[in-house]
Amino acid sequence: MRLREDARSLIFTNLCSMLGTFFLGLGSVYIKSKEAPAKDILKDLVEMCRGIQHPVRGLFLRNYLCQISRDKLPDIGSEYGGDGDSINDAVEFVLQNFTEMNKLWVRMHHQGPIREKEKREKERSELRDLVGKNLHVLSQIDGVDLDMYRDTVLPRALEQVVNCKDDLAQHYLMDCIIQVFPDEYHLQTLETLLGACPQLQPNVDIKMVLSQLMDRLSNYAASSTEVLPEFLQVGAFAKLSNAIGKVIDSQPEMPVFGSITLYVSLLTFTLRVHPDRLDYVDQVLAACVKKLSCLPRIEDKKATKQIVALLSAPIEKYNDIDTALKLSNYPRVMDHLDNATNKVMAVVIIQSIMKNNTYISTSDKVDALFELIKGLIRDMEDTDDEELDEDDFKEEQNSVARLIHMLYNDDPEEMLKIIYAVRKHILLGGHKRLVFTVPPLVFSALKLVRRLHCQEGDVIGEDVPATPKKIFQLLHQTVEALSVVPSPELALRLYLQCAEAANDCDLEPVAYAFFTQAFVLYEEEVADSKAQVTAIHLIIGTLQRMNIFGVENRDTLTHKATGYSAKLLKKPDQCRAVYACSHLFWVDDQDGIKDGERVLLCLKRALRIANAAQQMANVTRGSSGPVTLFVEILNKYIYFFEKGNPQITSSAIQGLIELIMTEMQSDNSLSEPSMDAFFSSTLRYIQFQKQKGGVMGEKYEPVKV
Amino acid sequence: MNYLIGAFKPPCHIKIIFADAKTRKQVSIKKENGQTTMVPLFQSQETIGGEVSIEPLPGKKVEHIGVKIELLGQIELYFDRGNFYDFTSLVRELDIPGEIYERKAYPFEFSTVEMPYESYNGVNVRLRYILKVTISRNYVSNIVEYQEFCVRNYTPTPTINNSIKMEVGIEDCLHIEFEYNKSKYNLKDVIIGKIYFLLVRIKIKNMELEIRRRESTGSGPNTYVETETLAKFELMDGAPVRGESIPIRLFLSPYELTPTYRNINNKFSVKYYLNLVLVDEEDRRYFKQQEITVFRLLENQ
Amino acid sequence: MVLVLALGDLHIPHRASDLPAKFKAMLVPGKIQHIICTGNLCIKEVHDYLKSLCPDLHITRGEYDEDARYPETKTLTIGQFKLGLCHGHQVIPWGDLDSLAMLQRQLDVDILVTGHTHQFKAYKHEGGVVINPGSATGAHSSITYEVNPSFVLMDIDGLRVVVYVYELIDGEVKVDKIDFKKTATSAAAAAH
Repeated sequence: MRLREDARSLIFTNLCSMLGTFFLGLGSVYIKSKEAPAKDILKDLVEMCRGIQHPVRGLFLRNYLCQISRDKLPDIGSEYGGDGDSINDAVEFVLQNFTEMNKLWVRMHHQGPIREKEKREKERSELRDLVGKNLHVLSQIDGVDLDMYRDTVLPRALEQVVNCKDDLAQHYLMDCIIQVFPDEYHLQTLETLLGACPQLQPNVDIKMVLSQLMDRLSNYAASSTEVLPEFLQVGAFAKLSNAIGKVIDSQPEMPVFGSITLYVSLLTFTLRVHPDRLDYVDQVLAACVKKLSCLPRIEDKKATKQIVALLSAPIEKYNDIDTALKLSNYPRVMDHLDNATNKVMAVVIIQSIMKNNTYISTSDKVDALFELIKGLIRDMEDTDDEELDEDDFKEEQNSVARLIHMLYNDDPEEMLKIIYAVRKHILLGGHKRLVFTVPPLVFSALKLVRRLHCQEGDVIGEDVPATPKKIFQLLHQTVEALSVVPSPELALRLYLQCAEAANDCDLEPVAYAFFTQAFVLYEEEVADSKAQVTAIHLIIGTLQRMNIFGVENRDTLTHKATGYSAKLLKKPDQCRAVYACSHLFWVDDQDGIKDGERVLLCLKRALRIANAAQQMANVTRGSSGPVTLFVEILNKYIYFFEKGNPQITSSAIQGLIELIMTEMQSDNSLSEPSMDAFFSSTLRYIQFQKQKGGVMGEKYEPVKV
Repeated sequence: MNYLIGAFKPPCHIKIIFADAKTRKQVSIKKENGQTTMVPLFQSQETIGGEVSIEPLPGKKVEHIGVKIELLGQIELYFDRGNFYDFTSLVRELDIPGEIYERKAYPFEFSTVEMPYESYNGVNVRLRYILKVTISRNYVSNIVEYQEFCVRNYTPTPTINNSIKMEVGIEDCLHIEFEYNKSKYNLKDVIIGKIYFLLVRIKIKNMELEIRRRESTGSGPNTYVETETLAKFELMDGAPVRGESIPIRLFLSPYELTPTYRNINNKFSVKYYLNLVLVDEEDRRYFKQQEITVFRLLENQ
Repeated sequence: MVLVLALGDLHIPHRASDLPAKFKAMLVPGKIQHIICTGNLCIKEVHDYLKSLCPDLHITRGEYDEDARYPETKTLTIGQFKLGLCHGHQVIPWGDLDSLAMLQRQLDVDILVTGHTHQFKAYKHEGGVVINPGSATGAHSSITYEVNPSFVLMDIDGLRVVVYVYELIDGEVKVDKIDFKKTATSAAAAAH
């Protein structure tokens, strides 16, 4: 009895100095001695600590109290008593200490000179864990079960949090509550916890708090499928959604970026917990649209970033743009982005499609998708053209071009619809974009033509929607749009591609029409000599492969092609084009045209041009280029000779060889190793053929090398 | 020299032995020379008895004209040091005139002695009880021996014991309400109370509770008042805010308190006060003093 | 041992959105010493991608290449071999072996790599090799139906070259191998 009195008196007498901590230690020893019920002593201790009103000292003292009493709290299974009542006592004790500590902590904010406010706040921030530790201790008490938490701990803690009206404390403590208590408790007490949020100070970063909560809950949901029913049972989504709405309404001052961050968290939560509830996702987006619609177009970078995060989340989750396309509010959110970000988002969407190899398989979805990425597809209002970086623009448009290949359906009918849809959208893009978007569309259509063609055998009547004819019609108009851009070279190539496809489909007039278009472009639009050379090669190459033309059409076209060839700017180009034309009259297959005479005419014409070139070269004493032309023509002679063109004789070859030898030995020409090599390897080839014997050997017999 | 000293030494040893010396509780008291000594403890109405033994030095005899023992209750005021006022005086004759050659013992007894006041050793006053043995002699001075003993009287727990409650303040600066749970405390009591801050507009640094003892001696113009602070107990560190309530738990046992003495034999009083002191940041002190009554409770009660 | 990647006719983005993922996974930087590309990439991004696989990149111009600076033909020597590179749209009839042989003689190379037809081909021809790596993306072609994505990897070691053809058929990568040894005569011819 005596000892007890003394010990207690010692504890209290000196409480007020910082040495008090030491004597609190005595108190803990005293509890261990079990002379008095732990609860009495704890009650006394926590009460007496009120004597320290100096915030920092008080905090440390109470922290010490909290620390030393931790293992002495009456709890289930603890040696210091653990029936129902004493757990209440323990909780009461910690809660009281928590309340008092928080008061002290908050008070720091108001005490002392104003000029040191910043420093003080920093100091406060450093002390926060002292306060939070109480909550941690509470979470460690086994006796704090869900009921106790719901009925006592949480309401009391929140009461203190709300009433202290301090920004720093509210933010920290809310966070602390969320972090230290188990997720299942949060889930079961969502309403209470969320109810506190709108009551917090306007400057408290609620979005962080709520984000934390939702992150935790999503992780919890992800931890095991067994807990998912709990989420449904408590209606977690509705509660969270509701709470966020309230918070946003109650804090008109909150920056846009803050509200959007909240929606992002909610969305993340929804995606993780209810991935099957697309309607929830859409609801979140709808709420966000509602918020955004009362605001001017977002300029704030941070807010924009959050919107991008909001929009990216469903795409990342579902890895499938199809799902996002079902979200009616998705494009509405995008409308609130500035043009640049809108484009960024569009690129993200496209990249997602690419990455996941998602095919967009109906024209409706295509429409929806193009609505989403319209920032890339057409000029938006108030876009400043000057700002556009050309490289960026190219990159964007190329990604659109790539995207077009992902718009695909196996069913030709639907595919045609898709093509119509794409065409409708890209034609809005203006001349800058057509260069990028028309080619993929054309090839997409050509693929469809090929598919239809291969399916042949089905009855193709006029009433069948997807016929090659219709597609060619569409192609015609589409490429035409490109030719007026003007991008004649590209249009020419595409016309030729179409012509060849029409050839495959046995549509002579269509093929002819495409050729005509190509020729018109060549004549009127292709001016650059180098471009002309390439164009001629493509024209000849394509024409060479055409097999549906009747004699008349064919003659018209070959005549023109040879005519263009002979009119090229440079002699060597003329020469090469003309000898290439020889192939137009000799197609090396069973029923191909074999007009040896006209082949020879072409080759002779080529020789004349080579001669002319040679003379010009002699005059200018320029390079020995033209001799190469002779060797090239020689090779053509050999080609047709071997193919059995009766007009090409061994003597002609012999003559050509000699001509070349003479030219090479003439003083005027400089010896050129590559030319020499070309000629000698040609001769070696003839030698090789001679030696091979057989029919070919005999054929070559007369040729002397 | 030895002879001389021997000449003034009393020619005998006198011992006063209490009858129940072995069992009686002893307490320490402070002697005049500052040393402490243990003496037996009595309370009023007790019978004080024992034996006086007188043993002459070897080869000496004591010639006397009578031996007596007195029980004296004395008050000594220090402004009049050495002058004892006896408020109690009882005498027993032990021997008739004669000569003592060898050790001789005399039993004595004072039965049911009224000792209304407690022994007290204050700043300006002392109250003591002694047994005084006197061997009266002719021509030479009497031989005297003293034995001091201590008296403490116990009070039952008072039936009426109101709390002390009061609201005080400085207008528009500070308003507090304090409460001590009782007005009468026994020596081992604990003062429980609280201070409730109604208004705080000054920056308080700390708050203390002092226990003060006020001893007043003499009367009229010759009154001497001495105040001591026996305890300084810090109640609060730092500045509270409005609405804060600071608890008090002050254990009295560590302090050397006596009961409150009121007007002891018209010679002196000892009173106790609780002094609540608030100190602001500029070290200005604000205080309020309240008297409490201290009493002695029988310990094994 | 030198590894040479030969490919062409990617036609990105006109005819295909990207290289097949399986090819991309196989083509990692640091393994290949040279890349020869017959052309029709068609855009800079593809060029940059190839460059990232191997900085020694040789490209000739296809008719759809936006970069007009690529040459029509190019020759280079790797080890004992002289390689010729050309897109092939200039050689009429397209894909015709005898016509390509003329180009081989003209460029005087051991290995001629051309494209345009989108059909993988590799012939030993007159002591040399003519290779068409096909289209790396399996791009649509008016010349070839049913184009499978393909590319060629040449392992050149002394006088020997092993041509590996990687073809993506129904989602599976098939590899074929053609061995070619340079004879002393052709070696002499090359030295000529």
